[in-house]
Amino acid sequence: MFFRLLKYDFRSMLKQFGLIWPAALVLAVVNSFTLSGMESTSRTGETVAGVAMIVYVAIMIAMFVTAVIFVIQRFYRGLLGDEGYLMHTLPVKSWELIASKLVCAVAVTFVSIVVAIVSILIICRPFLRTWDADFFEFFHWLWKNFDGNVFNAIVILVELVVLLLVGTAQSYLMLYLSMGIGHLFHKNRVAMSVAAYIAIQAGINTVFGFLGGVFNNPLTRMLEHLLWEADGWVDLHTAFWIMIAATGAVAAVYFFAANYILKNKLNLE
Amino acid sequence: MNEQLVTCAALTKHYGSKPALNSVNLQLGRGRIVGLLGPNGSGKTTLIKILCGLLQPTDGSVTIDGQPISPYTKSIVSYLPDRMYFADWMTAADLFDLFADFYADFDQEKSLSMCASLGVSPRDRLKTMSKGTKEKVQLVLVMARKAQLYLLDEPIAGVDPAARDFILNTIITNYNENGTVMISTHLISDIEKVLDEAIFLKDGQVVLHDTVDNIRERESKSVDALFREVFRARNFEGGAY
Repeated sequence: MFFRLLKYDFRSMLKQFGLIWPAALVLAVVNSFTLSGMESTSRTGETVAGVAMIVYVAIMIAMFVTAVIFVIQRFYRGLLGDEGYLMHTLPVKSWELIASKLVCAVAVTFVSIVVAIVSILIICRPFLRTWDADFFEFFHWLWKNFDGNVFNAIVILVELVVLLLVGTAQSYLMLYLSMGIGHLFHKNRVAMSVAAYIAIQAGINTVFGFLGGVFNNPLTRMLEHLLWEADGWVDLHTAFWIMIAATGAVAAVYFFAANYILKNKLNLE
Repeated sequence: MNEQLVTCAALTKHYGSKPALNSVNLQLGRGRIVGLLGPNGSGKTTLIKILCGLLQPTDGSVTIDGQPISPYTKSIVSYLPDRMYFADWMTAADLFDLFADFYADFDQEKSLSMCASLGVSPRDRLKTMSKGTKEKVQLVLVMARKAQLYLLDEPIAGVDPAARDFILNTIITNYNENGTVMISTHLISDIEKVLDEAIFLKDGQVVLHDTVDNIRERESKSVDALFREVFRARNFEGGAY
């Protein structure tokens, strides 16, 4: 059932982003031409290049704003609003509903970031030719510092991406939990959701601050040691996995709390 | 298979301090068409939403086919809410695919033939449909299932008398005859002819639950006439003006 839910959430996502993602890439291609031709063209060419760049920046901003709105709206309207009448009467478990929204939200963020990076590379491509020397010098430096160990470099990159994904999931689950807490109130649910978000953030800061004070934060000290005084790749990998596990643990707490509310306290009045 | 399809025991629901259902005890069998009758604010929608799992009871218990509300009970309940619940970007055909994916008892061919007889184009976007057509799509979604329990919340409210007959006809010609249909309404005269049982809900309490035949025989009046008597507005509520 979970994958069936995912199918419909992804369709909804494609409906929303099916235009904006290709538009960003097409505009990047247009900009790569207009910018590379700027040196030899007239004032009109400069104007066209300027307008193309403004449109590109606008679409980038729109893409990320739409992504944030999409994440909030798909949960709030989809599960706690009118569409909840459909979703909560489907024969699925409440954790499947949350997980489906979450996977879709993380996917939207990930693809938007990839589109942004690819579009910037497309725009920069003509200039890379002139920057060849510096560009390859940089990779050469990187290669030397990684001691030629491509495998470990790739694993570090994968770990970085996993940390990014788990971190994104944790942020969204905090939003979901806040909306769930807001839903427990009979009135002013949106205001209560915002208040819950602020309270959770303050609570997390206090808990971590307290732990840091009492135990002199051994986790931070260990991470600092592992990251900056790394004694080989193993230390570095360990540091990444500790960060992934800690972020994942907080995300799991949010997930179970949000699921508890949807399963036991749902009130679509 | 449990003999009783629905069992509510001391079912209570409060909105804040305001009671919406007050210790409701109810048992419904199978193969019945039941009218859930009461004025606005009597608790009809609250009871239906609890049976669907959209509301959690404050106290008491409810089972459907012997099970507490769960994915299993949702798989045998077909619910028509009192509002539109779908995303506008979808077409009716998309919704039929969705229902076919999630409900084993959804008959896609029947949904398409019902669309044809109701004059609905399944490929049209819901965004482009009128309110009445959207309501028809929702009715098709609900009645194209071979469910054990149909919960229809005010299916004939807000439509003209001709459309009411049309909707009622669609319901009684398409429901699973081994299943039970619960129709909530305050428009008794329109549905009385199709009812097997009637439940009167007043201020969150069941004040009457009997077969329509028994009510007519015992009271020597129609269910509609009895309803007007039971729920007659008191003077200070405007009844005498």
